[in-house]
Amino acid sequence: MLPEFDLVMPRSLNEALQVLAAGSPEVLPIAGGTNLTVDMRSGRYEPKVVVDIEKLPELKGIRRENGQICVGGGVTIAELLKDGLVAETAPVLKSACALFANPLIRNRATVGGNLVDGSPAADTAPSLLALDAEIELTSQDGKRRLPLDEFFIHVRKTARQPNELVTALRWALPKPGTGSAFYKLGLRKADAISVVSVAVVLEAEKGVCRKARIALGSVAPRPVRAKNAEEFLTGKLLKKEVFEEAAALTAQAVSPISDVRASAEYRRRMSAVLTRRMLEQAAEQTGWKE
Amino acid sequence: MTGKVFGQPIPRLEDQFLLTGTAKFIDDIEIPGMVHAAFLRSDYAHARIKKIDYSAALKRPGVIAVYTAEDFGDYWRPGPLQVPPPTAIKGSQFNARPLVPIAKDKVRFSGEPLAVVIAESRYIAEDAFDDIIVDLEPLPAVVDLEEAWENKPALVHDDLGTNMAALVKQERGNYEEARAKADVVISRKILVNRNAAAAMENRGFVVNWDEREQEMTVWATTQAPIPLRNTIAARLGLFENQVRVITPFIGGGFGPKIMTSQADDVLLPWIAMKLKRPIKWIEDRRENFLATTSERDQVHYAEIALTKDGVILGVKDVFYHNTGAYDPYGMTVPLNTQTHTISNYRVPSFYTEIRMVFTNQMVVTPVRGAGRPEGVFVMERLMDAAARELNMDPAEIRLKNLLEPNELPLRTGIIGQDFVEGVLDSGNYKANLQKLMEMVEYEKFRKEIQPALRAQGKHVGMGIVCFTEGTAVGPYEGARVTIGGNGKVSVATGISTQGQGHFTVFAQIVAEQLGVKAEDVNVVTGDTAHFHWGAGTFASRGAAVAGTAIYNAAVKVREKIFATASKWLEVPPEQIELGDGKVWVKGKPEQFITLGDLAFRANPTRGVIEPGVEPGLEATGYYGPPYGATGAGAVAMIVEIDPETMELKIKRFVIVHDCGTVINPLLLEGQVEGGVSMGIGNAFYEKMVYDENGQLLTASFMDYLMPQATDMPPKIEIGHLTTTSPLNPLGIKGVGEAGAIPTPSAFVQAVEDALFEYQLEIPESNLSPSKIFEYVQKASKKG
Repeated sequence: MLPEFDLVMPRSLNEALQVLAAGSPEVLPIAGGTNLTVDMRSGRYEPKVVVDIEKLPELKGIRRENGQICVGGGVTIAELLKDGLVAETAPVLKSACALFANPLIRNRATVGGNLVDGSPAADTAPSLLALDAEIELTSQDGKRRLPLDEFFIHVRKTARQPNELVTALRWALPKPGTGSAFYKLGLRKADAISVVSVAVVLEAEKGVCRKARIALGSVAPRPVRAKNAEEFLTGKLLKKEVFEEAAALTAQAVSPISDVRASAEYRRRMSAVLTRRMLEQAAEQTGWKE
Repeated sequence: MTGKVFGQPIPRLEDQFLLTGTAKFIDDIEIPGMVHAAFLRSDYAHARIKKIDYSAALKRPGVIAVYTAEDFGDYWRPGPLQVPPPTAIKGSQFNARPLVPIAKDKVRFSGEPLAVVIAESRYIAEDAFDDIIVDLEPLPAVVDLEEAWENKPALVHDDLGTNMAALVKQERGNYEEARAKADVVISRKILVNRNAAAAMENRGFVVNWDEREQEMTVWATTQAPIPLRNTIAARLGLFENQVRVITPFIGGGFGPKIMTSQADDVLLPWIAMKLKRPIKWIEDRRENFLATTSERDQVHYAEIALTKDGVILGVKDVFYHNTGAYDPYGMTVPLNTQTHTISNYRVPSFYTEIRMVFTNQMVVTPVRGAGRPEGVFVMERLMDAAARELNMDPAEIRLKNLLEPNELPLRTGIIGQDFVEGVLDSGNYKANLQKLMEMVEYEKFRKEIQPALRAQGKHVGMGIVCFTEGTAVGPYEGARVTIGGNGKVSVATGISTQGQGHFTVFAQIVAEQLGVKAEDVNVVTGDTAHFHWGAGTFASRGAAVAGTAIYNAAVKVREKIFATASKWLEVPPEQIELGDGKVWVKGKPEQFITLGDLAFRANPTRGVIEPGVEPGLEATGYYGPPYGATGAGAVAMIVEIDPETMELKIKRFVIVHDCGTVINPLLLEGQVEGGVSMGIGNAFYEKMVYDENGQLLTASFMDYLMPQATDMPPKIEIGHLTTTSPLNPLGIKGVGEAGAIPTPSAFVQAVEDALFEYQLEIPESNLSPSKIFEYVQKASKKG
């Protein structure tokens, strides 16, 4: 059962930040609550005060902004899933949202919450990493932005300070010749924690890879990029042998564990298999035929 | 005229309440002055209790009382055993260690209650856990079954001097002689993994002791209301009729809710009498995983001896069965395994040995299937191994060894869970398999479809297996059928309902006899004030045993209708017709009397009661079968596997089933489909995993995955055969567990067939993509 706590319902972002600044770390923000209520029930977190940020207008909205897409930290997964701009500019994120838990959870869970939870299995993380997304953290002292890759530290450890809120995520509009793909391998079609998830974004010109991003979930203490494979791909002609090599390099970049869902060996192998498949799919979208 | 009701696919009468949210469940019960109970449970699986100090908890506002084992004084007592020892089996050894209501001196499984807190709210009760100082000295946990048998690494019950819970050997024929004559002998080690019942609704218990009336009312999510009432009354020194047990609507049972003599039903009635306050306890999901019983978990060393033509000469099976920390439910599960191993095959010699062990895990009692899936899994694995060894088709070797109808009834020589020798009463096992092969287009699949798909590089495979389901066991059930002054019929039976559709099928049985509409039959189950004799809902026996008791009562009422109507209409009974809720003189429909009027006249009127006649249009009926009726069937499933990720799709699932007379085909399909979904869960999704410290790693629905609608095959294709049981007048056999029994066997065979190039032999019942990958890796290394 839930422990006792005071619930504060601020009317604005500023009010919320004030409450956080005054009481952190014993104050926790709550938006959809799909992680936090479970964690409070199990005793993992026992905050004295919970700040409800779910309805703060400053955390809402999906918009174009200076050649970028800007998504509020409080945007729900369901909102991302049905947004035209996301579908058009970041299909790799839309695919991840489509496989996120179930419709009820998607209606409540927010993208900011999914990231700050610090789970290596966070469903939106690989896609956002592959999009080179930037995360905006705001406290009473001001705003700071950092690449999402620098945000994740370890299991349940992120760069967020206790007095900060995730106010936005931004990523660049896709260049022509961009292809992407996402796959989540779970033990059930819906409502399953990923065993391995892979997101790939490729930029290519006449079949030559200009930029590659490969990001994986559930195969390391945090969502990770296979930077060795990304570097290898850059400048290479997109073809089967290259994908296989990149997939093999990806398997070296991960450090999975064994648990009740799968063995480490399986996860490592699937990192390669799924990366190869996603590279193939993404390459096809770049408009290049071998 | 009322049309034929029995055997018709009428929709469920109870759904109007369930689907509109008006059904009353246990947590809906509110009583003025009610307080709440919460159990502080052990984190350790095996530990000595040094000290429990709850003095601080008592100071917390809203906390009313806290109790540990010591506080119950002489009232604290283990048990009793809910199912007696297997003394009917010669030479059997059984060490009774019934469940203790709350841990004393020692903790034997993770989740065992240490203290019970009573508070004004559940929140306060759980908050008070923080105030309780518990000092436990951890002991090595007994987890591995074979190590446990060697009394390693510790003893679960120190006073017993062994971890052996039971040793039971049964044999028919002479296996060693059969083995000596065999051309081929195949031995395998086979594991059956552990699953939870995971009913949608957890357990719950509400108790109200009325000091002035000197009566206790208990609402419980029990499958066994009458045994529950009897044990509560006996423990408290009350008469049975001072305790009323009521089962409200229950969200699924699947076995574990049969259990009595647990912390809730032992401790809370005693506390309610002390405090003179009603108490409610609603189990949460974590408690359900940790401390409600679950099942399976056996290790088999099995052997089959055959001629080179694939004729079975004998089977030997020595298996370790995990009973968990206690053995309150006797040996029901492993005895079911023994009776279902060879089941529908002709096996002249069969040796089977149970080595039941205590471990530091939750207690094992029946879960849908109850030992049957284990036996069937072992036998079907042996058949698969034999088919491969002898280069035979899996269907062919089965057809060759299935019993023929003229060999039935067959005494199996093996004593089962009901302590009588198993008898296969009736069935047409080959016909089941043949019909299945037609439905699944077996020949075409093997000769055309599968080769074509393989040529395309697809990994598609079929599993095809047979099974029996021993159902409808004793001891007995009873029912009372009464026609009311309103002309409608009320039925009361002792069993309780957890969603099976009893309100509908029982109404159909009665409506057919009494010439009323099914919706005019009101069925009450599981309320000891309405009917107080019987055993409970288990072993797929509701329709067959309680249904037959209801039928017997309805037939008596029917006779009474004719006898009474004969007096009032002044014609002999043969000239009376019954239907549409009334009786009339044959050929003279204007000379009629409604059943309601007849019921009035059968009661207070002078002259009705003569010697041998009881008042009212009412009768009580009972039915106790000599042994159970055996259903049977066959399953084929086709799966497609991604050969890299080992993700899997069920392309077709076909089941042919024979449960004798069908009361309601619609509900029967529901039962079969439900069982199949549980079987699919057991085979590919659901698995309880205990670590080396006896900690359950899968104690939430995050880690214990139930298959969902989207994981089911597009359709479950069901074929029926009807071989009526000679054991009861309606010819019914049970069906509740059918789908869960064969599915894991079919599943692993289908996976092996899909990945044929690796020549896999999968020795366990629960798979996952990672598991299949492991087996493929091993096979690749070998090859």
